[in-house]
Amino acid sequence: MKPAPFDYAAPRTLDEAIDLLGRHGEDARPLAGGQSLMPMLALRLSRPSLLVDLNRVESLSGIRIDDDELRIGAMTRQAEALESAEIRRHVPLLAQALAEVGHPPTRARGTIGGSLAHADPAAELPAVIVALGAKLVIRGATGERVLRAEEFFRGMFETDVKAGELLVEIRIPIQAQGSAFLEIALRKGDFAIVSVAASIALGPDQRCVAATLVLGGVGPMPVRCADSERRLIGHTPDAAAISAAAEAIPIDRVELGSRSASRGYRRRVAPVLVKRALAAAAGAAGAAP
Amino acid sequence: MKLFSVTLVVNGRAVTLRVEARQSLADALRGELGLTGTHLGCEHGVCGACTVLLDGEPVRGCLLLAVQTEGTEVTTIEGISPPAGLNELQESFRRHHALQCGYCTPGMVLSLHALLARDPTADEEAIREAISGNLCRCTGYLPILQAALHVAQSNRLKRADTSSTQSSA
Amino acid sequence: MIGARLVRVEDERFLRGEGRFVADISLPFMTEAFVLRSPHAHARISRIDIGPALALDGVQAVVTAADLPARLPPIPCRIPTHGNMEPFLQPVLCRDVARYVGEPVAVVVASNRAMAEDGAERIAIDWQPLPAVADAIAGLKPDAPAVHDAGNVASRWGFDLGNVETALSEAAVTVRQTFGIQRHTAMPLETRGLLAVYDGARRMLEVHGPTKVPHTNHALLARMLQVSTAEIRFIEPDVGGSFGARGEFYPEDFLIPWLALRLRKPVRWIEDRLEHFAAINHSRESRFEVTAAADAEGRLTAFDVKLVADLGAYIRTHGDVVPSHAAASFPGPYRVRNYRVAAVAALSNKTPSGTVRAPGMFEANFARERAVDMLADKLGIDPAEIRRRNLIRREEMPWRVGTESVRRPIIFDSGDFSFVFERAVSEFDRTALPRSASGTIRRGRGICALVEPSAFGAFESARVEVDGEGFVHVVTGATSQGQGHETSLAQVAAAVLEVPIDRIRVRHGDTGLIRFGGGTYASRAAVMAGNAVHAAAVAVKAKALRTAAQKLEVAEEDVRLADGRFELAGTPEVNITFAAIARLLAPGNAELLQSPTVANIADNDGLTASCHIRGVPSGTSVFAVHLAEVAVDVETGQVAVERYLVAADVGRAINPRIVEGQLIGGVVQGLGGTLLEEIVYDAEGQLQTGTFADYLLPSVHDAPAITAMVIEHALSPSNPLGVKGVGEVGTSGAAAAIGNAVARALGVPAAINALPLTPERVIAATCAGPVP
Repeated sequence: MKPAPFDYAAPRTLDEAIDLLGRHGEDARPLAGGQSLMPMLALRLSRPSLLVDLNRVESLSGIRIDDDELRIGAMTRQAEALESAEIRRHVPLLAQALAEVGHPPTRARGTIGGSLAHADPAAELPAVIVALGAKLVIRGATGERVLRAEEFFRGMFETDVKAGELLVEIRIPIQAQGSAFLEIALRKGDFAIVSVAASIALGPDQRCVAATLVLGGVGPMPVRCADSERRLIGHTPDAAAISAAAEAIPIDRVELGSRSASRGYRRRVAPVLVKRALAAAAGAAGAAP
Repeated sequence: MKLFSVTLVVNGRAVTLRVEARQSLADALRGELGLTGTHLGCEHGVCGACTVLLDGEPVRGCLLLAVQTEGTEVTTIEGISPPAGLNELQESFRRHHALQCGYCTPGMVLSLHALLARDPTADEEAIREAISGNLCRCTGYLPILQAALHVAQSNRLKRADTSSTQSSA
Repeated sequence: MIGARLVRVEDERFLRGEGRFVADISLPFMTEAFVLRSPHAHARISRIDIGPALALDGVQAVVTAADLPARLPPIPCRIPTHGNMEPFLQPVLCRDVARYVGEPVAVVVASNRAMAEDGAERIAIDWQPLPAVADAIAGLKPDAPAVHDAGNVASRWGFDLGNVETALSEAAVTVRQTFGIQRHTAMPLETRGLLAVYDGARRMLEVHGPTKVPHTNHALLARMLQVSTAEIRFIEPDVGGSFGARGEFYPEDFLIPWLALRLRKPVRWIEDRLEHFAAINHSRESRFEVTAAADAEGRLTAFDVKLVADLGAYIRTHGDVVPSHAAASFPGPYRVRNYRVAAVAALSNKTPSGTVRAPGMFEANFARERAVDMLADKLGIDPAEIRRRNLIRREEMPWRVGTESVRRPIIFDSGDFSFVFERAVSEFDRTALPRSASGTIRRGRGICALVEPSAFGAFESARVEVDGEGFVHVVTGATSQGQGHETSLAQVAAAVLEVPIDRIRVRHGDTGLIRFGGGTYASRAAVMAGNAVHAAAVAVKAKALRTAAQKLEVAEEDVRLADGRFELAGTPEVNITFAAIARLLAPGNAELLQSPTVANIADNDGLTASCHIRGVPSGTSVFAVHLAEVAVDVETGQVAVERYLVAADVGRAINPRIVEGQLIGGVVQGLGGTLLEEIVYDAEGQLQTGTFADYLLPSVHDAPAITAMVIEHALSPSNPLGVKGVGEVGTSGAAAAIGNAVARALGVPAAINALPLTPERVIAATCAGPVP
């Protein structure tokens, strides 16, 4: 399990990195935290001729608040994000999900942007980023473009980032809402069989004024449950409303199955997890129990 | 074959390595520096046997290229061992029979060493989380938990001692 | 010293990172090998082109079957089997047809491992895929593809004891169920590896890395290479776990030493994890169709079992021993005299299967104990009570089951099963947590009683020697893969010779240090090597005492051993140390010699003694009770084992701390096989679980609170120390106890019958509802 040979470059600036990626096109791979790419190299499933190491590009790291947005540099480590007081305060859903991502040594290197750009259907962060209504900033030789999270994911292990481009920043709107992230994994820290990212905002009358519900691990991309969200809006998030929302998840989009967790199993437990996540999110939003 | 020159500090000493880009940090530590206490169990980042400290944080030695470590400080099991004998955590491992074959042991010790450096009185939940990415096939983990809890408890007592000394002074 | 909870002498080096595993050894001009393996489950090779690989910079050799010595035999089977295994044996490299994903096809030797892998990518092979048998049960159908010309059945056998038909027809209740145990394996944290170097000047081939049974494999390699055993030395380094899977003679065990001999260069092969999944012996995959019967009082009256075991593509070193153990020991700790079993060892296009910790027993215990719980449920008897009523009684020992495995009778040598059973159950009750069902969580408790036959094998060797400085050397043919034998064997020697443990050096697994050896398998090291060391130490002590008496010019019966020296009883100032006696007995020391004669020269061979202790054919038998408490989420099927107790009567514990470690570690390994671990193949025989991301070992989050009760009650009559083999007991009953607990939590006595108990299977079981 030794990688095939490749060349290596460690640019210091984003421009240099994009220039290198642009010049080498499909032959180059950006290297972020390496927690997914390195195993693929070792298994020789990925065979770039050049690795462009982003770890020296300081401008790609950091967490800051800009107006009503939380901006996370793509190379921000998962461990740093998990410990960030800003993230805990303003986007607790992300912190809740990060606690389920891997283990301390993988989070010490793994990055937020790397996980998103890898677009593993079983990973936690894609579902969360969709649920948060985040925008993703992509930079290429010709400039910058900003995508909504739902436009970013294109398929299993597939994003809208083209050869020569880089995901550079994640922008998350700050909203006052209760949230919850739940998943079923065969072991804690493993990728999810089913994950649910849910958030609820309540009006003064205890009725939902906003709700988001996204499933992960069930299809090639995160599955947004728009019907469920609609059923919650305007209602008190009690057991009946939550059940109605759970019944409205697009169950036919629960497509994935494996030997240890078939599609049928995922379809059975997805509503269970949805109910639990919505109840927890409602509780966090201050709903009366 | 293109070789890269990398200068870093390993266990407190500056070293310069000549490595291929594809060489992992774990392979370089073992093959170039003879630091064979860093073990390879899977080479795909799951088992944790190759855990080393990069600037004090536990990381997978197999998921890091040696060329990436320019200017960093790397600590291996050899680096946290006293010149002779065992440090407190290592001794607690021995007392609690927290190792059998010894293959996962350096990674376990380093993960817990980093935890206890940051959180000397870590509780069981923190200890479990710290080694959740280190697989052990022999011990059933319980003796490892006990070994780490023992050190945390002893740190708690030391801290209580210190504070009582301070308050009486 | 025997019975002391000593900390282990081997720990310091491991904790400091100074353990020396085979991959830690390197030699000047060393090359590294990569084994190219079949990507197909079943395919014919029409052409291999190694030219482009050889042309690559850094590649030093590429070998295929065409390069092997003429008349090289396939890898032989080394233990008795239930059939003729000749047609199913594996060649070291496949010649025409590959029969499993992972079968070795070629070896590339290069300056380093990465280059060897680069070279292997350039080997061009024309494959003609053949239909594969991905499931041995399907492979038994008449129209199934043939794994071998001789068919898909390696052996069939059975036993028919008592009168099963009558017992079934007269039973008050019977239950019938099919139990499936999935393919999984040992998965030690260190992969396999070998480093072989040939010194032409000394005509010595040194092989670093063999373990478990180095002497056996040493002799076999000499035979396959057609050289003298004196020209080969096997050296066991530190070994990162075995759990049963390191003892075969694997293809690489021939290929790597042979390449070192051929290339006249050190050749190192360190298996990577991807290879390991396809190359290490798999185990456990089997199906038990069980009919069990009881009378109205809950007395078990009959077991009727049909067993099919999937042994993979070839019969290797261990033959059909795994289903053999399962078939022979199925009745377990119960007084059941009507027992019938029909067993089939079947073949498939998957990695060959061999032994893993509690081979056959983990499987059989699961099937039997589930069936016993089903009977208890039907009779309305508590699961502990039905077992209590059926345990073999102390006065019935030794108990002859009436079966045999690998031509050895199954006899339980001693035991007081009720004593252990009651202690285990009351301790588990005493420490019960005040928890019950809440919300979607259901709790349940499961129990398993079992007997683990252990300590098989013909003999074990030990030599004990005291040197002129008073250090004690212990050399044994047994080996260590982490169990702690350097400590426990030192304790045995220390107990006899009354020297401090830090004066004792234990060496093992080195054919250059001791001529014969058995090895470590079947939980035998403490029993066999322990008693061999004991006997050798006793002989050394006797020799020293005799010499002391001679030197002190007193009668032997007046000499006492105390504080490492021999002294005249009542007059301690008249004494001689062990070291001084050793110097007296050193060859060439003339002091105690009379006129040089042939007779006294023969005795003048140092203060040393050897022992080759013979094994009792039926070994020792450990009775154990496993108790598990689980919490099951009925909406998601997730199972958490919250509390576990394992109690075992080990006869005598040389080091209780080490015994507890074996039990606790064994339980978590068994928990992995119960809840998580499965080697998956698709319908074409493609291996689907090739990494630790797909094959799930238990992590620290999966480890429950475990109580290990080491009970020293029924000494084994088979050996002077009275010890019993305990290495596999912790694993053996885990699936049975956890499976019974889950079934009870859900109230579905019959529905938990296939492993692993994934959330999906548990959900399916909740739908099954109570049996009618």
